Amino acid sequence: MKLREYEAKKVLREYGIPVPAGFLLTSAGDLARHLDELGDAFVLKAQVDVGGRGKAGGILMADKKTGTATAGELFKKEIKGLPVKEVLAEQRLAIQHEYYLSITVDRSTKQPLILFTEAGGVEIEVTAREHPELIRKAVANPLMHELPPFMLRELIGTAPKEIGQVISKLYRVFLEKDALLAEINPLVTTPQGVFAADAKIIVDDNALGRQGISVNSDLTERERDAEKYGFSFVELDGAIGVIGNGAGLTMATLDLIEYYGGKAANFLDVGGGAESERVMHAVRLVASVPTVRVIVVNLLGGITKCDEVAKGIIAAGISQKVIVRLAGTNEAEGRRLLEEGGYEMLDTMDLVVKKAVAVTA
Amino acid sequence: MIYGDRNTGILVQGATGKQGEFHIGLMNAYAQKVGGRGVVAGVTPGKGGQQVHGVPVFNTVKDAMKEHDIGAAVIFVPAGAAADAIMEEANAGIETIVCITEHIPVHDTMKALAYAKMEGVQVIGPNCPGLLSTGEVKMGIMPAGLFSRGNVGVISRSGTLTYEVVDELTRAGIGQSTVVGIGGDPVIGQTFVDVLERFESDPRTKAVVLIGEVGGNLEEEGAKSTDIPIVSYIAGVSAPPDKRMGHAGAIVEGGEGDARSKIARLRKHGVPVASRVSEIPEMVRELFSCHC
Repeated sequence: MKLREYEAKKVLREYGIPVPAGFLLTSAGDLARHLDELGDAFVLKAQVDVGGRGKAGGILMADKKTGTATAGELFKKEIKGLPVKEVLAEQRLAIQHEYYLSITVDRSTKQPLILFTEAGGVEIEVTAREHPELIRKAVANPLMHELPPFMLRELIGTAPKEIGQVISKLYRVFLEKDALLAEINPLVTTPQGVFAADAKIIVDDNALGRQGISVNSDLTERERDAEKYGFSFVELDGAIGVIGNGAGLTMATLDLIEYYGGKAANFLDVGGGAESERVMHAVRLVASVPTVRVIVVNLLGGITKCDEVAKGIIAAGISQKVIVRLAGTNEAEGRRLLEEGGYEMLDTMDLVVKKAVAVTA
Repeated sequence: MIYGDRNTGILVQGATGKQGEFHIGLMNAYAQKVGGRGVVAGVTPGKGGQQVHGVPVFNTVKDAMKEHDIGAAVIFVPAGAAADAIMEEANAGIETIVCITEHIPVHDTMKALAYAKMEGVQVIGPNCPGLLSTGEVKMGIMPAGLFSRGNVGVISRSGTLTYEVVDELTRAGIGQSTVVGIGGDPVIGQTFVDVLERFESDPRTKAVVLIGEVGGNLEEEGAKSTDIPIVSYIAGVSAPPDKRMGHAGAIVEGGEGDARSKIARLRKHGVPVASRVSEIPEMVRELFSCHC
C-alpha cells in the first residue's frame, strides 16, 4: 500500500531525515493558524494517490496574502478524477541542487537495490534511458541491518556527506517499515542543509498487519467486499465479468476476452477452496459492477468440487447470463445442476470466452 | 530428473495442519503409484510423536533428519512462520526446499533466501504449487491426475494456469518430464534461469514451456540464458498498469514488466510466444519437428 506524501514524510522525520516544515489541511480554513510558521512563500500539495500530480494541477504555489484563497481553489479541484480531501501546506525551499534516491526490492538479485543519481530534477526513467552511467547502484545484503560505509561512499561520489547519512537512514526505513519502495525525489540541498522535498513509501501488503497499518480508506464498496471475502479484485470497464481461480488463469481469461475482441469488466480471483458460499459472493460482487452484462466463470483445479461451485452460482440468483467452464471433481453433478438451473456449461476456456464475446457484441 | 526423484525422501513442515495433512496424503498416494519414497517425516513444533497418514511427526527438522534420509522439504506453515521454516531446513542441510505458503512479507523472503544461499541449498517458491516429475516424485500440491509422462518440461509463475497448460498438453498427447511452479511473489528462490539450467542437463527434457506473467523481467533473463527449445506464454496482456493482478509479483510498475514488451523481447530471442493457452501444444509440436 502506498503511503500518502505526508504520511511518508512523517516516517522520514521519525528516522531523522530532514523534511520541510509542513501542515496537513483538511479545509482551506485550516491554513490560517499555520501562516506564521509557513513564512511568506509556501507550496500547497493535494494529497491524492495519482502519478503526475503536479502536471495535473495538484501542486500550487502560494503566499501569505492569497494562501487561503489558493487553498480553497485546490480543495474544489478534482485531480485525475479524485476529489482533493487533504492538502499538505509546506514551506518553500531555496533549492541549490536536486538528487534522486530510491531503495527497491530487486527481483533479479533478490536483495534491496539502492539507486542514487546527482542528476536529479528529471524523471528517473528518462535518466535511466538516456544516461544510465549517471545512476549509481548498490545491492545490499538483506541479512545486514546497516549499509557498510564503503557502499555509502561509492554511492554518493562527490555529493555532500550528509547525503550518505540520508541514504543510511532511508535504508533503515526500508527495512523496518517493510517497504517495497522508499524513494526521495527530489532530495535537495539548500543553504539550510539537505531536505527530502518529496517522498514515496510503498508498504508490502503482506506486512500491513505487523506494521499496524489499516487498509486504505479510499476503497470502493465493491473493493471493500472483495477484501472481506479475500478475493483479489480489480475493476475494469468492459461488459464481461470474470471469475477465475488462481491469478494466472484469471489473467489468461481476461487476455482471451481481449483476443476475441471483447472487453472484461473485472479481474476476480476467488482463490483456493471454491465452496458454494464463496462462489455465490463472488458472482454477486461481479454482477454488481454496473457495466457487467455477462459473467464468465472459469475454474480449474484438482480439488475444486464442481457441484459446490454450481450451487454457489445458482444461489447467487443474478439477472445477468452466466457462462461456466468447470474442471475438477464431481463434474457430472455440477453440469447437471447448472443445466437444470438454466446455465450454460462449456468444456474449454476458449469456448466460454467466445460465447461471452458473442453475447456482448 | 531435476530437484529429486523417486528415491528422494520428503519432509513436510507444518505436517499436522489442515493443508499439510491433506497434501501428505496426496503426495504419498502419488509415491505409492510410482514406487517412490514420498513423504517420510513431518515436522510441527510441539507435536513430535504424533503420526499423519502413518508418517511420523517430529518437533524439529534436525530430529527428523537423525532418523530419516531426507533430500527435500515442502512447507505448509502460515506466512508468519514460513521464513523461519526455510531457514531451519537450510540450516539442517536439506537440498531442495519447496515453500507453498503465500502472503509472506517480502523482507522475510529476502532474508530467508540470502540465508539459504549461504547454506548452499535451493528454494522453490514461496507462493508456489511445487513440482511434479512424472513417474518419479510430487513435491507440492499439483493435481497429479492431469499429468502424463513425456519429455516436455514446464516452468511457471502460477498454479492453476500451469494445470491448464498441463491439461492441454496431456489431451494433445504431449507428456511432461517435470513441471515446476516457481511462485507468484516478486522475490522467489529458483527463477526461470535456475530451472532452465537444470532442464538443460536433464536427459529426459527435450523442450520447455515457459509460462510467465506481468511484472519483472525474469522470463526474458531465462530465455536468454539457455539453448533448450522453448515455447512461451505470458499472461496479463490486458492487465492495466499499477494494479496488482492477484499475485504479489504480478504488477506493471513504472512502465516496466508489461506483457507486450516481454513478449516482444522473447520473440526477439527467437522464442515463439503463444497468444492463447490452447495454441501451446501445436507450437510445442512444431518445435519438435524443427529440432529433431
